[in-house]
Formats: sequence, structure tokens, C-alpha cells
Amino acid sequence: MHKRAIGAAAITGVAALLLGACGSSTTPAAKPSSTTTTTAAPAPTTTGPPVRDAAADLVIWADADRVPIIQKYADAFGKENGIKVAVQVATDVRQQFKDATKVDKGPDVIVGAHDWLGELVQNGTVAPVNLDPAVAAKFAPQAMAATKFNGQSYGVPYAVENIGLVRNTALAPTAPTTMDALVSEGQALVKSGKATNIMVQEVGKTGNAYYTYPYLKAFGGGIFATNAAGGYDATKVIVNSPGSLKGAAELQVLGKAKALSTNVDGTNVDALFDAGKVPFYITGPWAIDKAKKANIKYAISPLPSLTGGGKMQPFLGVQMFYVSAKAKNATFAQEFVTNYVPREDVQLALFEAGHRPPALTSAYDKVAATDADVKAWFEAGQGGQPMPNIPAMNSVWGPLGQAAADVIAGKAQPKARFDAAQKEIVANIAKG
Amino acid sequence: MSPQDTQDTRGPEGPTGVSDGAKTKSLGYGRPSGTSPVWLTVTKWVLIALTVGVLAIVAQKTIEQGAWIGVVIAAFVAMCVVVVYGTRRAVPLKYLLPGLILLVTLQIWPIAYTVATSFTNYGDGHLFSKQVSIEQVIANSVREVPNAPRYKLSVAVKEKSDPATAEIFYLLTDPAGKTYLGDKVGLSDLPAADVEKAPNGRITKAAGFQILTAIQVNARKDLSTFAVPTKGGGGIKSVGLSEAFEGKAIVSYDKATDTLTDSTTGKKYVAVNARWEPADGQGGAFPQGWKENVGFKNFQNVLTNETLRAGFLKIFAWNFVFAVVSVGSTFVLGMLLALLLNNARLRGKGLYRSLLILPYALPGFVTALVWSSMFNQDYGLINKMLHLNVDWLGDPWAAKAAILITNLWLGFPYMFIVCTGALQSIPGDVLEAAKIDGASALRTVRSIIMPLLLVAVGPLLIASFAYNFNNFGLIFLLTGGGPFEAADTSIGSSDLLITYAYRLAFSGVSPNYGLAATVSIFIFAFVALMSYQGFRRTKALEDVN
Repeated sequence: MHKRAIGAAAITGVAALLLGACGSSTTPAAKPSSTTTTTAAPAPTTTGPPVRDAAADLVIWADADRVPIIQKYADAFGKENGIKVAVQVATDVRQQFKDATKVDKGPDVIVGAHDWLGELVQNGTVAPVNLDPAVAAKFAPQAMAATKFNGQSYGVPYAVENIGLVRNTALAPTAPTTMDALVSEGQALVKSGKATNIMVQEVGKTGNAYYTYPYLKAFGGGIFATNAAGGYDATKVIVNSPGSLKGAAELQVLGKAKALSTNVDGTNVDALFDAGKVPFYITGPWAIDKAKKANIKYAISPLPSLTGGGKMQPFLGVQMFYVSAKAKNATFAQEFVTNYVPREDVQLALFEAGHRPPALTSAYDKVAATDADVKAWFEAGQGGQPMPNIPAMNSVWGPLGQAAADVIAGKAQPKARFDAAQKEIVANIAKG
Repeated sequence: MSPQDTQDTRGPEGPTGVSDGAKTKSLGYGRPSGTSPVWLTVTKWVLIALTVGVLAIVAQKTIEQGAWIGVVIAAFVAMCVVVVYGTRRAVPLKYLLPGLILLVTLQIWPIAYTVATSFTNYGDGHLFSKQVSIEQVIANSVREVPNAPRYKLSVAVKEKSDPATAEIFYLLTDPAGKTYLGDKVGLSDLPAADVEKAPNGRITKAAGFQILTAIQVNARKDLSTFAVPTKGGGGIKSVGLSEAFEGKAIVSYDKATDTLTDSTTGKKYVAVNARWEPADGQGGAFPQGWKENVGFKNFQNVLTNETLRAGFLKIFAWNFVFAVVSVGSTFVLGMLLALLLNNARLRGKGLYRSLLILPYALPGFVTALVWSSMFNQDYGLINKMLHLNVDWLGDPWAAKAAILITNLWLGFPYMFIVCTGALQSIPGDVLEAAKIDGASALRTVRSIIMPLLLVAVGPLLIASFAYNFNNFGLIFLLTGGGPFEAADTSIGSSDLLITYAYRLAFSGVSPNYGLAATVSIFIFAFVALMSYQGFRRTKALEDVN
């Protein structure tokens, strides 16, 4: 998920720099962060990092989309306890939280993606959150699992997101169940001139490990093997396992067929699909708003299966509330996160902000009854595993993404390239 | 207090002339100076008082954080300000002090800090002390005791005691409705007759106790370390305001052997390489390591590690070529255009000039992003217009060309402006003399204009070189340092040293500030050496005059 957002993050960073005018020109605004930046870079109300509101009794940092909704419930919480709650916009929550907490100026609570967890724990910036097991049981098990690191839980989830197959129903009325069917249908459309591409998916010159993973997983490959406790084992990298190599071979085939291309990246992929001449688009809920605006008639379905393997299974990304380990108001922070966030009305309201399936089962059921998209996203994520949240994952994004890009571009053979990637990842983990 | 000060305070009473004379007499070096009017003296002292006041606030803040060195520095600066501006002795220092302070805080201090960091392993996973890492590991290992009840909690203190400091008591209700009193010794029964409960079971009143309000509870920072000890060796801890659970830390620290032990698996962890590694070598280390001094390890790493060194040399070579070609190409194009538009017979010069400055007026970040999309192999404007199929951003050489082309576009207007200015300052009679002597246009440019131009523009070229040597924004936005080759994603084909250091420090595998600081020291040395050489050369140019 790191690399997928780099374009948006860079643009956000640039916007911030431009607005900041004479601000320092090397602000590291574009640390490829997770989902918070994927939602089409909202115009930030503040340009630099937020400054902790000193007058507030509870400070929450979130991205611009979610702030208004959290504010509403934060106000209710503040009224109940007679305190002032400040909800502030952070343009890059992950990095800004890390920097501010280092100098003891961080917020009490942050809202972010679960794959930041390993890094946050490693740097001692988040505190365990002991949710009542009875309350925890009301959440989707995968969502709860994603909040855990080394067996400890560090937050409360509110949304689950994953990629699926989005198709332009004007070009492709029915959803293909296999990649072969998808490619032949796409090729026919390209030949007849109705389409410009067979399908689009974010790849880019440096590749994208998040979108590469489902291809490897379809053949039983992946990134890390799981340990006895069910967590990912950083000492067992399986990027060049036989299953992963079959997935890599599939990438080569799709690259040759021009279904995948390194010239499609985060900056142009939406525009290509929204031009109405691309039948299939492998993406997540973040791309839907733009497609709607472009008046594309779309439908969402699970990822297709690959010949000789199984269904492509995406990573699950979980959005959650964290409590800072250096919270100045730890009691209020814990109270808000454990008693407010699991409420159904809060989860439903947060759904309105991002249109991701809620993590609370009862809230999901309510939404899914009326919203077909949410149901489709949820079904596309069935069987998916949470994205690894161990710090070792930071050693994977670059090498795996680049390996996939090189194979797709036809610059390297799958086996040799993925062997090399495996070697680089293992060496990087040993270094870290 | 010196006699002058007495004079000053007397102010307007004495005619200026008188005090002037007195002053000249008493000043050993006989510097003629006017007595300042009273408002100036007052302003001066108000400013001094303000400065000292601000420094006092700074000192107060640093005291709160326990940073004593900060207090010493603030006090020293305050003393300097009072001594230099309060007395009439150190006249040169009056001019130099502000600059000196700024030089130290903005230049010397960052350099010293960078150098200090380069001798540590500071980076992700190595941010704090060993003590903190032990505390973190243990605190994060607290697990809820299986099948223990969840209690409803009210935090209380003894009646008529101070809510902010008095001993804490937990008034607990278990799911069955039974009430308990918890303190630092342990759990005891609380007779139901002594308490009043809310419908959810939470105690709202208890005889002999004062229940704290939410704000009072939140203000008790000692709650984070407070736990009611239980029989199993665990403790009852609060979750927010109204809930408590029984938890137990599964990791413990043994000071004598300096090991951490996981009680569930019996595994021992020892301190290796600033991390807690399993003693038997099986499995992973705890993620929380600590910061420590590593001596010259980072320097050794840059100089001896094969990948780092090879990469470093490769990047350095390209960095040098990039800076030289960027300066050269932008200067040549800018100068040619300036010469062209300097022709007196040309009409509409103003219009052309403003058009040519446009790329300079656009924000460089936007331009770089736009060029990046124009260089796209399949969808970019450049390949489409020229009917090419160059993989601009995927091929190492093409990527370098793309960067130089973009930088030419970004940089020539600056050179154009500078050269236009310099050309207009070349005296007309010199050119006229050349004409009379029968010099051709080319000869005039070569022998008259160029030498005179370079005198003015030379130092700017060096500045431009130094700027381009560290042109982070362009590379970062255009290629991100890529393309990455040879199955190595740490060193890109179009990386500059600065983007390489950035990747080491802030992104990639695991941010390593120590190593990045080391790399930036090398960059500093290179740029300093080259700039020194460059400035010596421009001195030679000045001999033309």
C-alpha cells in the first residue's frame, strides 16, 4: 500500500509546499504513507504539520476527510466529560505523528492504517489498547487481528478496505471470473477500437508490491510465511517460493500482452479508466469517487482467478484509532477510543466519510443492506489476509515492487528477478 | 556603571554639546559620539530587557524539560546581550553579536548536531535509551489474564484529601455486581451497604471516599503506572475512565544478567547490536532497540561496504556531471538568448523577454511534475509528438537525459536574466572601439563581451553549481532517483547524493539518520572543496579588469 499512494502523496506534498510558499523546500512530505493520502488529496486546511492545540484536553489528528465526522463525536464526548476536544487535520498523519511525538508535541489519538503499527511500536509511539473482549467480538475477526502486533492489541478498527475488479459496464456487462477470460474480452474490445487498454492497474516504473501480492497469493505464494501464532514471520520470506514464481510468470505474460504496463502509474491510472475506454480496472474504493464524477457506469466484483492457480486474493487494509504512548491525556484518549469508536453510530458516520466497509459487524450489515458497492467490496475482500504490519514489511515494498515492474516490462526473467528480490529483502531485514 | 551611563540617564537636561565633551574626554580611544536622547536609551534598555525576558522564558521551558545544557546556553546568551549592549565597551561586538548568534544557531549547531548524529545508530527502532526500550517492551507485553473479570471502575481518593496528589483507590464492580476496593497493596471487599451504584454497576458514592471527576482522573499522570496487585502476579489496571482489567506483563527484565525473559515461552533475550535478540538465535528480536554510540562504524560503512561504496561513487560521478551540464547548458542557452535580445534593432524585446522568463516564474515543483507526465512512454506528450518510443523514465540513460532537458527548461531563464543584466552594464564605448578596430561580431563576443560578462556572472555560476549539486526537488519529483537497476532498490540511476541521503534517512528500508548524517558530511566536504576551487578560479577572472 506504500507505493500505491506515492503519486497522491507527492501531489499533496507539492500542494503543501506551494501553499507554504517560502517553507523549506525539502520537507519530507511525501513519505509514501498509507490509505490516508489515497483519497484524492483533499485541499488541506493547514499546510504544514499541525501544531498541538495546547488548550484542549484531548487532541486527535486525522486526515482532512475524517476530521469533520470525528469532530462531531469528539464534541459529544467533550460535552459528556466537560472538556475541550480538538480534532486537527494532519496532511501526513504517519510522519507528522512520528516527528511530533519524538519531541513530546504529538496528539493523544491518531487515525490511521493498521500497517503503520509495526513501525509505531518499534519507535515506542503507541500504547496498547485493552478493549473488552466482549466488545472486540463484535468486530470482523480479520479487522481485530490487524490491530495486533506480537499478540498485543494497539487500537480499535473502523473500516476495512481492499482492492477488487472494477469494470466499465458499458464495455464489459458481465464480470469475468478468470484472468484468461478477462484478457481475451479486453483484447477483443481493443481490436474493435472500443477500448484503448485491456485493463489498467497501478504499476509504475518502480512497481507496486501491494498490487503484485494477489498474483503471488493466487498460487499459494506471498511475502511472509505465517508462524505458529498466525502472525507473519519476518524470518521466512517467500517471495521466490514456487507459488510466488508462478505468480511472477503470470505478470510476465500479462506484461507481454500489454494488460499490465509500467507506464500506467498512480498519476494517470484514474484518468485512463475515467476516459471510458478501459473495460477493467484493478483498484480499491479510493478510485470510485472520480469514476462517478466522470459518469462511468461501473460494477465491482472479486478479483479473477488465474489459470493453474486459485483466486487472486488482495491484502486487507484496516483503518483504526491509535492511542499515543506519550499521550498527555491518556485517560481521555483510552476512554474515547474504547468507548466511543466501537459505537455503531460512530462507525456508520465514519462510513459516510470514506465509503469503506465498516469494521463493526452490525454497522456493516446495516450499510450493506442498502449500499451495493460496499457489499461488493466486502465480497472482493473475502478470504484476504491483513497486510503485514511488522516493521520488516518496510524492507519489502521497494524490492518486490521493482521486481514486478522489471518482469512486467520484460526487462528480466521471473525466476532470476524474484530470486534477486528475495535476496535483497532478506539482506534488508537482516540490516534493519 | 561607567560615567557615560550617568550622562545618559541625565538625558535631555544637559545640552548635548556638554555631554559630548565629557564623553570624548572619558573615552580612551576618543571616538566622537553623540549622547543618545532619552527615548533611545529607554528603547535600548526595553529591548535588552525584552531579550533577557524571552531568554528567561526559554530557560524556564528547558528547565521543565530537564535540559540543563539549554539553561546554561540561554543564560550565557543573556549575559552576552547585557554585557555587549548594556555597556559601551565592546563596540565591534554590538554589530557582530546578532550575526554571531545566528551563525551559531543556524549554521554551526546543525553541523555539530549532524556530526554528532553520524557517530550513532540513531534511526527507526533506535530512537531512545536502553532503559526506555526495556520499559516499552515490558509495558507492551501486558496481556489480559484469561477469564479474569472486567470491572466497572471509579477512581477515588480518601475523603477530604487532595484529588491531585492523594493516594489512589480503585472502586471496582465485577460483572456479578460484587464491589471491591483496590489500592497499592491489593484487592479487598467493599461492603455493598457502603456504596451507591449506577444502573450499569459503576460505583457513584462510597463511604469515606471521594470519587474523582473525569478531569481529575485525567490529570493524574501516575495512573499509567498504578495497578492493583493481584494474586497471580498481575495487576488491575484502568482502561479509560470507567473500566478496569486484570493484566500481567509476560516479559520481565533481569538486571544482573541484563536479559529479558518471556514467561510464556521461557525465551531469553540478550542485548546485541542495540537490540534485544533471542539468546538462542531463533526467531526475531524485539522491535524496540535503543540509540547508542557506534564510533566510526557509519564512516567505515560508507567507505568499505561494497554496495554503498560502488553506489556512492556512481552517484557522485552522475551528481557532478549533472551539476556541470546543468549549469553549462542553462548558461549557454541563456546567454545566447540574452545576446540575441540585446540587439538594439530588435523590436518587441519586452514581450520576448517576459515570455522567456515564464518558465522561471512557474513553480518548479509543478513544472517537474508536468514534465514527468510528459515523459511517460505510452501516454506522454513528448513521445507522441515526436513519434518516438523512448522509455524516458525507465531507461537509465534516457532518464538522465530527461532530467537534463527538464533542468534546462527550468534553469535557462535565470541565466537569461542574469546575462541580460550583465550585458547592459558593458560600456558601449568598448564595443564601439572593437567595431572601429574591425572586429567581427564573433570576435567581439569572444574577446570583449565574454570576459566582461564572466566577471559579473562567474560567482553566480558557482552558486548555481552548488544549488544544482543539491537539486533535490527536481530529481525527487521527476524520477524519484529511478530507474533502479541490478536488483538494487537502494541506489537509483539518477540519484543525486542528496536524494540518496534522503532515502537512507527518511524512507526505504528502515530510516537510518546516523548513516544519512554520515553521507551528508561527505556531501558537505565535496561541495566545500569544489566551491573553494571555483571561487579561486573566479578570482582569476577578475584580473581581466
